[in-house]
Amino acid sequence: MIKYINTSLIGALILNSAAFAGAAAPNDDLEKELAYLAAERQVVVTASKIEENVDKTVATTTVITQDDIAHIGARNLLDVLRLVPGIGITQTQFGWREIEVRGVKTLASEKVQIMLNGHPLDHNLQNAGSTWVYDDLPVDTIKRVEVVRGPGSALYGANAFLAVINIITQDAKDLNGLQTSAGWGSFDTQQYRASWGKQFDNSAEAALHFNFTDTNGINSPIPDDSLSVQGLNSSAPGRSQLTEGRYDLEWQLGYQDFKLDGRYINKKAGTFYGIASILSDSRTQQDYNDYFLRLSRTWKIKDNFTVDTQIFHDFFSYDNIWQTEPNQFIRNGVQDTRTGGEIQANYHISDAQTLISGFSYAKEQQGNLIDEAGSDPANMVPVPFTTEERIRRRWGVYLEDVWDPLKNLRLTLGARYDRYNDFGGTFNPRMGFNWEFIKNYSLKFSYGTAYRAPAFGELGLANNPVLLGNPALKPEEVKTFETGIIAHPVAGLTAQATYYHSAINQIISRVPVQTAISRYDNNGSVVAEGVELETRYDFDGNLQGSYVSANYVLQHSIQLNRQLADVPQHRANLIANWAFDNTWSSFAHVLIKDSTSRDLGDMRNDVPGYALLDVGLFGKSMFNKKVDISFNVYNLFDKRYYDPAPASLNFIGDYQMAGRAFFGHVSLKF
Amino acid sequence: MKIINFCKVLILLTTFLVSTGFAQSNKILIINSDNSVFRYETIAIEFKKVLQQNAYQWIEFNLNSHVDAEVKLKQLILQENPEFIYCIGTKAYSLARNHAENRKLLFSAAINWRRLDVSEGTYGVANELSPAQEISLLRYFFPAIKNIGLLYNDKFSREYVETIKKDALALGINIVNQPINDAQEISDALNELLPKIELFWIISDPVVLSSKASVQQIFQSAKQQKKPVYAYSDVYIEQGAVMAISADLATIGRQSANLALMMDKDKVPEGTVQSPAGSTVTLNKCALDALQLGFNQDALDSVNKIVECGK
Repeated sequence: MIKYINTSLIGALILNSAAFAGAAAPNDDLEKELAYLAAERQVVVTASKIEENVDKTVATTTVITQDDIAHIGARNLLDVLRLVPGIGITQTQFGWREIEVRGVKTLASEKVQIMLNGHPLDHNLQNAGSTWVYDDLPVDTIKRVEVVRGPGSALYGANAFLAVINIITQDAKDLNGLQTSAGWGSFDTQQYRASWGKQFDNSAEAALHFNFTDTNGINSPIPDDSLSVQGLNSSAPGRSQLTEGRYDLEWQLGYQDFKLDGRYINKKAGTFYGIASILSDSRTQQDYNDYFLRLSRTWKIKDNFTVDTQIFHDFFSYDNIWQTEPNQFIRNGVQDTRTGGEIQANYHISDAQTLISGFSYAKEQQGNLIDEAGSDPANMVPVPFTTEERIRRRWGVYLEDVWDPLKNLRLTLGARYDRYNDFGGTFNPRMGFNWEFIKNYSLKFSYGTAYRAPAFGELGLANNPVLLGNPALKPEEVKTFETGIIAHPVAGLTAQATYYHSAINQIISRVPVQTAISRYDNNGSVVAEGVELETRYDFDGNLQGSYVSANYVLQHSIQLNRQLADVPQHRANLIANWAFDNTWSSFAHVLIKDSTSRDLGDMRNDVPGYALLDVGLFGKSMFNKKVDISFNVYNLFDKRYYDPAPASLNFIGDYQMAGRAFFGHVSLKF
Repeated sequence: MKIINFCKVLILLTTFLVSTGFAQSNKILIINSDNSVFRYETIAIEFKKVLQQNAYQWIEFNLNSHVDAEVKLKQLILQENPEFIYCIGTKAYSLARNHAENRKLLFSAAINWRRLDVSEGTYGVANELSPAQEISLLRYFFPAIKNIGLLYNDKFSREYVETIKKDALALGINIVNQPINDAQEISDALNELLPKIELFWIISDPVVLSSKASVQQIFQSAKQQKKPVYAYSDVYIEQGAVMAISADLATIGRQSANLALMMDKDKVPEGTVQSPAGSTVTLNKCALDALQLGFNQDALDSVNKIVECGK
């Protein structure tokens, strides 16, 4: 047995000592030391692996983290986005949801660029937008969502018109093993996911995500359709048939400076109401396939000069069967591809200045058209194509300078020129500053323009009884000026106020050309302006992990001296998260939405405003930090509320949305 | 309410926020890589004691308490705008380095700090004692020893081992080093290394010391080949190390705090990384006797603890 003898001898090399305070058993000491070494072993740091952090605070940005997503009990991407100031979510008659940004919304949400790990997802060339398959994206694999409101074409090119939503998913380092989760809830909703990630010693790394979701939908009551109001046989009164099932696989593979990533999604859905004026039954089916594959590499030329290169291939297809009359169906489909590459040079001139420039090229192609009609969905016959095969080539060059001339001042100046073979060129500048005029108080200003390229359907729609394409279309344009202040007046408190003014011109809209027939044309303009206020307070000490936040928007979107239809002027979110301890917390969210007015000529009353309360309970890091669970109740008071139906469906009233709904979720780490 | 009215509200809000902003005082952000790790937490406690004595404000952020720590940390830095950031452990430092912007950084408890991206505005207290100090003491105790061996992993310890070799050469000692990629290589590496050396040196390499089994393997092999083991920490005395010189954790915490106070007053050159100021020398006389290894009796003056065999 060993015994310890303390001596008072202090050697010349020993300056002082306090080592005798520890009373733990020697074996415990070794375990503690090994625990420390294990913690250090998690981090391999080399200069080349430290990423440069480009501050984007010139733009109005909201970041929703994985932790936030877990606390709010989000079921899909829409549950996350509806908490963001300036963003609203509404139902469409076809099934997918609309994303309203700063008082402007359209059926396909084509003015919002959604990206996955920085890769644009507007793969639907026929109709533009990304909501076809990404509106109900599962959130279990998401690390964070960055929402940049305002024009982004100077950085991101086409279609970053009103906002950019960048979804960042977990990589190998975040996963470091196997993670699974499952969720069950109202409307027979079930979600499952499995993720695996590993970093290997030879600098290789791999992350794989698999998601499966299935739901019967909210079964909203539909009182009438165009037949029932005439006393004819129809499916109405009935219920919406918005069943949705999807699975997707995402991969991120890396070796040295190379990375291969992508995501495949298959989504099958019914519809909420349908494509025509009659209520669809379950024979309406939408089938979407979407994937992208990207190979990228970062080349380090010098310590202060790197070049990012990538090549990519995007694919999107749909094959949909729509009910147009009780016993009449149409089937249509397309395949879209986008193949291209991008090279971006990053030059760090000094610690205070970074210059970014790049060139991109892409070829977009639409083919494999399907157009059929018939009385039996299983046996339809070809009919003339309603759109056309098309090839588009485009390239773009861009330059951006991020410069801190003073410690408290950041200037951003950039511009991008894009050239399309079908409609010519477009130039989009961006400039702004962020000035911390007093410690913890920053003033922001930015001005930028953006464009949205005409979709293939807008250019080439044909043989459609009510709507025709226009090959002479020009891109839509928006010029946005915004200014705001961000403040941290006391520890834990953040407050932000932003004023924006956007002028949208050359809007691609439907213009009557004959009775009952419209054609796409660049026609009209919209001026959208508003104020966004947001604040958040994070508690400290015993309440660490608790927070309260609120945001409010006042928005005026004017077209032809009228407020845009179906868009509220006021919307507010109130959020409170209460952490009882390191494990349990509860969450409450109140969404208050103002009433929305009708379109010109629509004599219905305004859609009433409403307030909804969601609550949740979240337990994290249980059972040796391996288990998280949550249980949420949406619309706790079972408030009956409606999303607006278009004037063409005025006989059904509006879309009744979900009453009280439940969702439980379990996540496991191995 | 019209927009013009909201602009007025905005101006009033701005005025209010500006007026309250003048009341702010300087803050230090402490980022702890994992407060459940004894070494990190001991250092943090001592650091805060000194700050308290000097009426400094601080906020703490434990990386292990947050699922999405990097994003939370970034938000916290933006919200709190700390004067400078104290990073305990490599993970804390590497994350802070990405998001600190132009703020001063101070680190400690980071293994082999020379592998870190240390640039302007960065200060630190090394995790390891000065190799020259340790080699001098080893030579003082064991004048006959000329060849010292060590195992290390290139990712974690290359720069530290290079410093050891350089300092040892200057003191007339030959370092025989053997890199390993995985703990499974320890046995073969020791079989190759031990015959070439008179003493084996355990450095704080996280790959070599990946488990209790690795530690046992080292001492078992050394015992079989009758080679003494010297270690960077006295936790290995129990295992059979003949001597250890341990950096004192509490002192590292206090030393970091004093460095922080000097940084705040711009009294310390940028880029300063200090060696740990406090250390303890432990001699395992029981193990020495078992190996029948002689040592310089005069050197006992330098020993803080002597471990003897029980009866």
